[in-house]
Amino acid sequence: MESLIAKADAISPLFKKRKTSHSSSQKKKVSDYTAQSISKSTSTPKSLRHPLPLSSASEKNVHTYKHIPNKKLRGELTRQSANSVRAKALLEDAEEMLAMEEKGGMEVEGEMERTWRVGQRDIVQAVGQEAGRGRREVKLEGGPYRVRYTRNGRHLAIAGRTGHVSTFDWQTGTVHAELQLQETCRDITFLHDQTYFAVAQKKYVYIYDHDGVELHCLKSHVEPTRLEFLPYHWLLASVGNAGYLKYQDTSTGTLLSSHRTKLGSCTTMTQNVHNAVIHLGHQNGCITLWTPNLPHPAVQILAHLGPVTSVSVDPSEGGRYMASAGRDGSVKVWDCRNWKGAVREWATRGTGGTEVEWSARGFLGVASGGSVNVYHPPTIHTPHLHHSSPPLYLTHPLPSTSSRPITSIRFTPFQDALTFGHSSGLSSILVPGSGEPNFDSSEADPFESKKARREHEVRALLDKIQPDMIALDPEFVGRLAPESKLTTRAEMLREKNSGEGQGGKGKKEGEVPFARMSRMERLRVAGNMDLSEVVGSDDEGAGGDEGGDGRRKESKEEREKRKMRGKGKSLKRYLRKQRKNVVDPAALAIRAKLEKQKEEKKRARLAAAAATAGGVGEKKSALDRFKRST
Amino acid sequence: MVKISVLQHAPDAHLPVRPGDPTPTSRNLNPLMHPFARARERTRALNAAKMDRMFAKPFIDSLEGHIDAVEVIARQPDSLTTIASGSWEGGIILHNLSTRQQLVKLPHAHKGKVSGLCFAAEDRFLSCGVDRNIKLWGFDGSEPLNIFPGKTAFNSIDHHLNEPLFATASNTVQIWDETKSAPISNLTFPTSTETITAVRFNLSESSVLASIGSDRTFTLYDIRTGKAERRVVMQMRSNSLAWSPTFPTTVLLASEDHNLYTFDIRHLDTPSHIYKAHVAAVMSCDWSPTGLEFVSGGWDRTVKIWKEGQGHSPEVYHTKRMQRVTSTVFSGDARFVLSGSDDGNVRIWKAKASDKLGIITARERAAMEYRDSLKERWRVDSEVSRVARTRHLPKSVHSTSKLKQTMLEAQRVKEERRRKHTRAGESKPKPERKKVVIAEQT
Repeated sequence: MESLIAKADAISPLFKKRKTSHSSSQKKKVSDYTAQSISKSTSTPKSLRHPLPLSSASEKNVHTYKHIPNKKLRGELTRQSANSVRAKALLEDAEEMLAMEEKGGMEVEGEMERTWRVGQRDIVQAVGQEAGRGRREVKLEGGPYRVRYTRNGRHLAIAGRTGHVSTFDWQTGTVHAELQLQETCRDITFLHDQTYFAVAQKKYVYIYDHDGVELHCLKSHVEPTRLEFLPYHWLLASVGNAGYLKYQDTSTGTLLSSHRTKLGSCTTMTQNVHNAVIHLGHQNGCITLWTPNLPHPAVQILAHLGPVTSVSVDPSEGGRYMASAGRDGSVKVWDCRNWKGAVREWATRGTGGTEVEWSARGFLGVASGGSVNVYHPPTIHTPHLHHSSPPLYLTHPLPSTSSRPITSIRFTPFQDALTFGHSSGLSSILVPGSGEPNFDSSEADPFESKKARREHEVRALLDKIQPDMIALDPEFVGRLAPESKLTTRAEMLREKNSGEGQGGKGKKEGEVPFARMSRMERLRVAGNMDLSEVVGSDDEGAGGDEGGDGRRKESKEEREKRKMRGKGKSLKRYLRKQRKNVVDPAALAIRAKLEKQKEEKKRARLAAAAATAGGVGEKKSALDRFKRST
Repeated sequence: MVKISVLQHAPDAHLPVRPGDPTPTSRNLNPLMHPFARARERTRALNAAKMDRMFAKPFIDSLEGHIDAVEVIARQPDSLTTIASGSWEGGIILHNLSTRQQLVKLPHAHKGKVSGLCFAAEDRFLSCGVDRNIKLWGFDGSEPLNIFPGKTAFNSIDHHLNEPLFATASNTVQIWDETKSAPISNLTFPTSTETITAVRFNLSESSVLASIGSDRTFTLYDIRTGKAERRVVMQMRSNSLAWSPTFPTTVLLASEDHNLYTFDIRHLDTPSHIYKAHVAAVMSCDWSPTGLEFVSGGWDRTVKIWKEGQGHSPEVYHTKRMQRVTSTVFSGDARFVLSGSDDGNVRIWKAKASDKLGIITARERAAMEYRDSLKERWRVDSEVSRVARTRHLPKSVHSTSKLKQTMLEAQRVKEERRRKHTRAGESKPKPERKKVVIAEQT
């Protein structure tokens, strides 16, 4: 070994290096210009750099797998858990540091003040001109309007009932496309970004591009009433008067599936952005949840007495809560994990269709009759006994009665604003605190450039999730498959064999090969097992009659302790030390001897009992004790 | 009074300062902002696995020049580019790998096939042939510097690590000095009478020598004591052997029974690993200089690259025109693999099939590393693993492997039945590793 090391000219001891160090210390570190110039593009990737050391606080949370004997596996698992703890700590730091923007809000100072008393004019005055630009009124003719934002909140698409369709940049007011389609338009939605939009027209769904050029007519979607686009799956879902829910893949152009709801014409649809499940509200008061993979609804609830007019899912809680409004004048909030009754319900004042919509931070907007009411988060879904509405956050009346009804209500993503479409155009009001302040450029960026948009489109296409991954629980991906409830033939045979082994028959081996048998089975097959001995016989001898279950629950120490009681300790210890699965004539002889002794003892005990019964007998009565003994 | 504040994005924080500047990005790591993160990551992992297969173009070039089958390839130990190949027609060619030129071409180096090649110090190399001669060549000139005549045809030759000694294999193992014309010692196992097919010096303990013979043996010698130390008789004969460059006690044997075995020479009773994937005899093997991989070439016309310790599913290379692979060598930088085959070509392959040659920018490398870690993380996903695992095989290899599988299964079932119908405990199954070695002799 020494010769090997010497030959390799390995590391020489440290003290030798120190002595020669003065010569090298004179050479000052001269910055290498070549290295500097290329270091930018050739720097070590992050993965190779040394990670941050674990802080002592987080070190405690690292799970150590001490019970695993395999060193390699143990090391790997410990490293993984240390990494995940470190990543969590880094994430917490990063979340604090990255949250740059301040969220908005309204706060009252006095106890008697209420935020809902504050009107839009006061808000606009308070926040100044720049922020007040979110408050707008747009007068349009062309019937009640449906509105829809892009995911980054920058662009808006509107569709009037009588065929006026337009898309524009809501921040700058630049119009992209303006169409007069001359036929009924029931809904509009953007596809993955502002460059394409789909319109539900009188007979079919049409897709237009950025400039308003008609690209496709989707003839399989007949008489559509509502549209939804699932951005991560690239699916356009539509539901129509015939009651069919259809999914069209917009990246490949194929009709993925069409589900017959069997509940008649449907005019209410929304999606849960966290699991891509489509929620439909029906004329008979039912709400159904759909995935493209199931031919029947995943969930069906009877939510309202009368038609459902609007459904919305809370994006702030990971899609946990759903709000629904019906023509019976009630608004209900549901817990999507437990459908047994609404969490909270209240009645709205106006008649006609009520629209509900959740904002990104969990504010609920309810448009009914002639006003838009906004409620704020924790009280919306705290359970409440009485059917009273949660405290109002903000309310806004429509400008005039002629602009009723409100047909569509949307919160602006990443802005404190709410836009609603009504008969005489659009209105946008400020709702302080409703918008998510920090956006993520990789998901949706209101300031994205043309190049970034293109890149994002390509990336989104590459990351497109297959439609068969849509399920109520989106976290099933990457989990272990649940254990099958079916038993395989091999398992059955093994169980059967083990049962026989305990029974002591040991005749039939089934078809389990030798290599797959347990050790005891192998010993039995090989004939090395001691079949004469009943396992645990000496335990019973010492411990008396106890239930089999009770004995199994005892710890090992207790068992040992109990074993030591009683007579003939040394013999029993000897027996215990003998291997139980080996036929040993000496052990057999001793076991027989013990058995004999036990029998004798038992006989003696019985004889003694009989003698006492015959000799003294039992006392006949309580007075017998006073009898004089003879 | 009511305090009111409305969220406002300052445009100057989110727009480039000057035209042409990169647009600032902002991040929000809240998981609610990233729906379907896990599903999207899985999609990315699947794409990474697919891209890996898409970019898998391992064949680089073929070095021509031989008329007959290539019998042997040798790599110059301290050079990244120089390799020598010898063929059945008796020619030797010295190739430069980077320029792919022939440095030296000796069309008639030997009469009959060139059976062994190795490099000596100072840009010289030794060759031996079935014409019973060993020749010492320089890198310039077509005449040998020295000729060592022998009595029998030689099968293999290997040079000592640092001394001017070399060992040859014929029906005996002989040690030669470069300055003497006759062998200085003869180290054969006393009872051995068969042909020795290959001989190799250990790469760390340079006086230890190993040989394999046609009598199914693997023998260890020490040139200081001048005798054979230990011998193992195996079930089938070995065709090639290679010492590990990093673990001095590990030796790799390419066996006639379609498997490769690594042995720890301290425990010769069982192999430390069995590597099973070839469907015909393995003809050659060579370790990567890192000692983590090795390459093998087989009679089934494939070259396989194995990870040390993983006895199944190696990387497989094949082409339509490549015939039986007779010799394989790893390049000195562990990035390339060379194979010489019956069709007379020496082929250059990448050691990692989807490797990108040329300059890689930091961004590109970061993307590659991200893809690798994705593949690693999702390797248990059934679809990702299927894409990563599946290899297209030539029809002959595929059908042979299926046939082989059927035969092995039939054997196993027969053995099982036989055991079931003998008296209980009379015959026990023998582990695969215990079947390999028949006897160990000292």
